[in-house]
Amino acid sequence: MDSFSSPSSAGSTASTEHLMEQIKAQLAQAYAQEFLETVGNKCFAKCVTKAGTSLSGSESSCISRCVDRYIEATGIVSRALFSSQR
Amino acid sequence: MENSAEMQRFIEQEQQKAMVSEMVGKLTSVCWDKCITSTPGSKFSSGETTCLTNCAQRFLDMSVIIAKRFEMQ
Repeated sequence: MDSFSSPSSAGSTASTEHLMEQIKAQLAQAYAQEFLETVGNKCFAKCVTKAGTSLSGSESSCISRCVDRYIEATGIVSRALFSSQR
Repeated sequence: MENSAEMQRFIEQEQQKAMVSEMVGKLTSVCWDKCITSTPGSKFSSGETTCLTNCAQRFLDMSVIIAKRFEMQ
């Protein structure tokens, strides 16, 4: 992953656009990483109640439900904040 | 450097997005802890959905009150 290894020499407009694309890609990755970390912490707390030698079937299914619900909760919260002014 | 204005605008936009994203992330975390008390099911109950919505909006109300409280001093 060497996104900075191809410097554009096709003029400053192209390189500005290139740079903005790179920034966007890196930001997207950072957002995703942070989200994953949060979801992991929340769902571990909810679903893995007593860490055994392996994840049980019910823990695994809890985790996948938890991830879906956390994504849904994110949508509900952002709609509550930004749509339909109270 | 006629691109610096464009870049400036781009950075401001991304900063705005980052702020929004951070706020949504933080409120989701806070309200998840407050509202989702049982093991996550395959669907939110209507109580949970309402709680999440109310929680986010009340947090905003609270922020306003706190800001006002400091203005008064």
